[in-house]
Amino acid sequence: MTVEERFCILAVDDNPLNLKLIQTALSKEGYRIITASNGPDAREIAADEIPDLILLDIRMPGEDGFDVIKQLKNDSITNSIPVIFLSGVSEIDAKLTGFELGAVDYIIKPFHPLEVLARVQLHLKLSIATNSLISTQANKLKQITKVHTSMLTTPEMQPDAHFGVYYLSLQEAGGDFYDVLPISKDIYGYFVADLSGHDISTGFLTSSLKALLRQNCSPIYQPLESIKMINDVLVEILPEDKYLTVCYSRLNRKTNQMTIINAGHPPVAYVPVKGDPRLIEMDGDIIGIFKEVLFGQYTLKVSPGDRFYIYSDGLIESPKERLLWTAGKDKILPACEEFRDVPVTDAPEKIKTCICNGNEELQDDIVVLGIQV
Amino acid sequence: MDFDEAGKSLSLEKDEYIELVEFFFPAAEIDINKLMTANEKGDTELASDAAHSLKGAAGNLGFMELSDLARSIEERARNAQVTGLSLKIKELKDKIAIIEEAFEKHKNS
Repeated sequence: MTVEERFCILAVDDNPLNLKLIQTALSKEGYRIITASNGPDAREIAADEIPDLILLDIRMPGEDGFDVIKQLKNDSITNSIPVIFLSGVSEIDAKLTGFELGAVDYIIKPFHPLEVLARVQLHLKLSIATNSLISTQANKLKQITKVHTSMLTTPEMQPDAHFGVYYLSLQEAGGDFYDVLPISKDIYGYFVADLSGHDISTGFLTSSLKALLRQNCSPIYQPLESIKMINDVLVEILPEDKYLTVCYSRLNRKTNQMTIINAGHPPVAYVPVKGDPRLIEMDGDIIGIFKEVLFGQYTLKVSPGDRFYIYSDGLIESPKERLLWTAGKDKILPACEEFRDVPVTDAPEKIKTCICNGNEELQDDIVVLGIQV
Repeated sequence: MDFDEAGKSLSLEKDEYIELVEFFFPAAEIDINKLMTANEKGDTELASDAAHSLKGAAGNLGFMELSDLARSIEERARNAQVTGLSLKIKELKDKIAIIEEAFEKHKNS
C-alpha cells in the first residue's frame, strides 16, 4: 500500500457532480476515494472494501441514507466504520435522526471542500485514537498480576442505585460477576456477566472486567458502544478458550428510560408496576471471541416502581434435570411475580430460593441482580 | 459570473474547477429533464428530488442564484404547489444556459 492509499473514503451521492467534487478535493490530499451512486451499491462496496470512513448523502432515490446507515450498523463487517452525513436537508430532526442512527457527523450542502476535508481528518483521528485506546487498555490489563477480590458492590454501598443482589460463587474465583456503575446523577449501569470456567484465571479476568467497566461506561458512550469497546479489549486479552455472556442495562431515572444490551446472556425479566412480568428476549453474540460482533439492544420507557431482574444461567439451568436455560427460563416469571411486593434488596434471594427449590447440589455460580426504577 | 473567483473560493485549482463545471452541465441537464417529466406527470416527489439534486450541485460550485432557484422549486414541489412551477423550471433552464454560455466564453478567453 502506498502512502497515498493509506486511508480509503467511500463517498455516496446520487449526484455525480458532488461525487466528483469530493473526489477532487480529497484525492489531492492523499486519500483514496471510492464512490457509489445509490444505497445498495454503497453497502456492497462498504462490505467488500471496508473503507476507513463513509461520506453518505441522505436524500437518494430508492434506499435513502438513513436506510443505508441502519443496514451498515447492523452488519458486523461494517458497523464500526465512521459515517458522516452530507446533506442538503438542514432540519434539526434529520440531523438528530442521523446521529441516533450512528453517524459521527453531519455536513450541510452546499459544502466547502475544505470543511469536508477537515471533518474527515478529525473523524479519522478520533477513530485511530479509539482503536489506540483499546490497544492501550488491553496492554495495561495484560500486565495485571494480582487477582483483585472483594470488589463486588453492595446495595448499602450505593443506596441511590436501588438494587438488590444474590450472589453465589462455587469457588473463590467465581465465573459470575456483577457490578453497579454510577454513570452520572440519576443514571446507573447494571452489569452481569458469566465467564466460561471457574478457575483462578477467571477470577483474574473479573478484576480486568471491573477496570474495563470503569474505563468504558461513562455518559459519553452509549451502552452499546461501551460493550463493543469492552469486547474489543477482551478479544485481545482473553485466552482462546475463554468467553463471557453479558447483560448490561443502563437506567436513566430522570428520563425514565432503560436500555438493555444483551451479549448471549439469558433474557432480562421485566416486572412493570402495572402489568404482567415478561422476558425481554433478544439475540446477541458472546463477548471475547470475535472482533466483529452484533449485540442485542432494547430500549423502553419505564415507570417508578418497575423492576428488572438480570441473572446468570446458573439460576435456571439444572444439570440434574438436564434443563438448559433456554427451557428453564419459564421458571423465572412466576417467581418474579410472587415476590413483586418484597423489597428489591431481598427479592433476589427469595427468587433464587423459590427457583432452586432447596437444591443443595448447585453446579454453577448464581447471580440475581434486581433493579427498581 | 467570475469563474476564477468561484474556483478560488472553493480552494480549487483553475483546471480542477473548470473540469468540475464541465461535469456539472450534463448532470444538470439530467436533473432538468427529470424535473420537466415530473412536472408533466404531476409527480411532485420526483420533481422535488430532481430540484434537490440540482440545488446541492449548483451550490457546491458556487452558483448560488441557481441553487436558490432550485431550492424554491424543491419547496414548491414538496408542498405540492404546482401552479407556476413550469415557469420556474423554464427560469432555471434559462439560468443554466446563461451560465454555460458565460463559461464557454471564459474558457476561450
